[in-house]
Amino acid sequence: MRIGIDVGGTHTDAVVMNGNDVLATFKALTSADVKTGIIEALDAVMARASLNAADITAVMIGTTQFTNAVIERRELSPTAIIRACLPTGTGIPPMCDWPEDIAAELGTNEYRVFGGHIFDGSEIHALDEAQIKQVAEDIRDKGIKAIAIAAAFSPMEHAHEFRISELVREVIPDASITLSHEIGRLGIIERENAALLNAALGELATRVINSMTEALNERNLHCPFYVSQNDGTLMAADFIARYPALTFASGPTNSLRGAAVLSGIDDAIVVDIGGTTSDVGVLAGGFPRESNSYVDVGGVRTNFRMPDIMAVGLGGGSLVNEDGSQIGPKSVGHRLVTEGLVFGGDQLTSTDIIVASGAQDVGNPEKVKHLSAELIEAATQTMHRIVDDAIDKMRPSEEPVPIILVGGGSILITRELSTASRVICPEHAEVANAVGAAIAPAGGEVESIVSYGKISREEAIAAATKEAEDKAIAAGADPDRLRVLDIEENPMSYMADNAVKLRVKVVGELVQGNKS
Amino acid sequence: MSKISAENIEDLCAGAAFLATGGGGDPYVSQLLAIRLLEEHGPATLMSVGDIPDDFTVLAIGMVGAPTVTLEQLPTLDESVKAFDAYEEYTGKKIDAVIPFEVGGGNSTIPLAVAAMRNVPCIDGDGMGRALPEAQMMTFPIYGAHPTPAVLSDSWGNSAVLHSNDAHTFEKHIRAMAIAMGGMITSAEHCMDGALARRATVPGTITFAVELGKLLRQHDGLIDAIEPQLYELFASSDYGTVKKLYSGKVIDSKRQIVDGYDVGTATLQSFDNNVEPMTLLIKNEYLVASVGDKVVTSVPDLICIVEQETSRPLNAERMRYGQRVTVFGVGCTEHYQSPEALKVTSPRAFGFDIDHVPLSEIDHE
Repeated sequence: MRIGIDVGGTHTDAVVMNGNDVLATFKALTSADVKTGIIEALDAVMARASLNAADITAVMIGTTQFTNAVIERRELSPTAIIRACLPTGTGIPPMCDWPEDIAAELGTNEYRVFGGHIFDGSEIHALDEAQIKQVAEDIRDKGIKAIAIAAAFSPMEHAHEFRISELVREVIPDASITLSHEIGRLGIIERENAALLNAALGELATRVINSMTEALNERNLHCPFYVSQNDGTLMAADFIARYPALTFASGPTNSLRGAAVLSGIDDAIVVDIGGTTSDVGVLAGGFPRESNSYVDVGGVRTNFRMPDIMAVGLGGGSLVNEDGSQIGPKSVGHRLVTEGLVFGGDQLTSTDIIVASGAQDVGNPEKVKHLSAELIEAATQTMHRIVDDAIDKMRPSEEPVPIILVGGGSILITRELSTASRVICPEHAEVANAVGAAIAPAGGEVESIVSYGKISREEAIAAATKEAEDKAIAAGADPDRLRVLDIEENPMSYMADNAVKLRVKVVGELVQGNKS
Repeated sequence: MSKISAENIEDLCAGAAFLATGGGGDPYVSQLLAIRLLEEHGPATLMSVGDIPDDFTVLAIGMVGAPTVTLEQLPTLDESVKAFDAYEEYTGKKIDAVIPFEVGGGNSTIPLAVAAMRNVPCIDGDGMGRALPEAQMMTFPIYGAHPTPAVLSDSWGNSAVLHSNDAHTFEKHIRAMAIAMGGMITSAEHCMDGALARRATVPGTITFAVELGKLLRQHDGLIDAIEPQLYELFASSDYGTVKKLYSGKVIDSKRQIVDGYDVGTATLQSFDNNVEPMTLLIKNEYLVASVGDKVVTSVPDLICIVEQETSRPLNAERMRYGQRVTVFGVGCTEHYQSPEALKVTSPRAFGFDIDHVPLSEIDHE
């Protein structure tokens, strides 16, 4: 039996699951203190399912703490960046496009050294070890422990990042080092930024993991525990201290994955309607479709593996104009329960419309009796149109698709959607995030540029798949239960020799039993 | 003479993306570099095409290669200026002004940085008025400039001098050299005297791109709302008629690499059920747009596509199902209306079995 806990910005959800069956659920406001919140959630679900600590084989935790730290610019450590690119790359210094407030938190500790590779795998320049040693000494003298290392084309050739890391560690044995190729993709500006954010979160990550571990120990849960990543896979808890940034989008991802399990549908569009916005994402083979472009995290341009989510301004608290033609993006949000008409407030919200239409019974229906039939009809149509339009933009083709509705605001959808082949509101949808955490597998991903003129396509894919499998096994997957989730090939324009950007992703069920 | 400063660069890049007709790559890196150089060296001076003195020596400068390479291998601060210096040194000529190959995409900013660093003016014009994939499609060779000697420089300080017999051969050579020199190079080429430069340049395109970008960026909303301003802006330029060709959503987008180019098609469907779908033929840029069987715009006229809700130009690489777009046809400048120009830039030059009919002669009702 597994426990999944999702610690969101507002709510903490928890579930106990046996395979894909939900045995017990819990939902509460997120506590200020992580440890207390996790203990409360553990106690509640274990009591509801009548289980003992010994029955639990694994605990999976999803958290938004690291995203919030970046957005709120707090608990970030002073961080250095070493970029191996010289003699190229002098034109664009690291962090040159960062917002000033977050750049100030990390400090100006930017170093560029000889090294890196070009597209064909040859060196831009050999590493100058004396130069790197000097840089490391300078970082040591500043008292900085958090260090990001990025080398040009490192996603396809890791050697320089590894060697620089060794040299730095000789000078600063307790350095907390992030290698860019381990967390970002091609695109050095975005990957370097991702590495910097990750390094800056290292100390916070250690504190968070310690409090999670303490919470589990206090309840005698000595089973392995895992943390959810952006791509819907898990990392073992000791990994998160090294890769906290890989949790940035785990909330929406867990919601999508949870929706798949709860509905039993692997290919669908999930609409998660909250108080202020609706998040629309695409499930392909049970995993979120990922965004191809760069991702803005707290004003910093990164290229993390993030789900492709489209947010539109419709939620249960969205404000409705006088003739119902416009709804949102303004919303009363969580104040719906005091400011909405049916709750005795004076704001006309989308929830009031649905109650007035008679389709839902929430609050006091007497308070919306005065609304005209024309207004109710117009506003109902507007809401369905907003959702239909968003689905239409996200669906992979013109074919109607199954739509899975989750989130508290899903009561707004009372009619057919023209984009939907069918609409499913699964049981336990309110804890989809925790379900997504509980059922996640381990995974590994590899991205590189290969030349089909020099190596056959089959060989290239086989080599990348092997590397991705090794990563998945390192992340906790059972070597006997691996599967290739996705192979993506993108040809590169203007390049000879059929240069292709190849990406392979492998997932695998977790190794059973106690790891520690 | 006017000035272009660091504050104009984001506008320039947005306008350049519109004129890039789907090509030109992601301009983010060149935008960052140009802002930095202009902040450091001060604004670049722009010289109007009509003001170029006869005895001026004008040099075209820009990047050639795979845009994807620059995502990893970032440019050096002085890469473009090194090509400029090497050109002067090799030919013994004193360069009086620089000029962009193409206003479309990242290449619009390179000569501005060189101009600021070497204190020479940058000509307010370019060799395409848009983006096109190959050297022989530029107005410079079409109107009599010889592409070589050309000096190519890379990020390591290597340089090469090319002597090619004609523009087609030059295109083949420079493409091979770009790959041999790390995937992306700076090229200084198509040196012209003032009289030739005045004749062979599409005029006013830099200031036009800045104005266009400003309009799009300040608005940052539904394209419909700024259509009148857009028409007005183009009417005051050297471009021909502007027509709104289509409004709809992307229902299909396929592409593959053929001989080093992004080749593919995209299909748009109108929000009006009575209108047939639009098909776009793509070879790096949007080249031919048809509704049903009827061609509504073809290269060298411009097919410019923006995202409806933001008015942001849409790169062909980023096109995908569901995007709501508005397609504009823009008449090419006079330079592309001659038989010599059409021979190397009409749909047949790209291998399509389609005759070019100027946008202004097509009945779009």
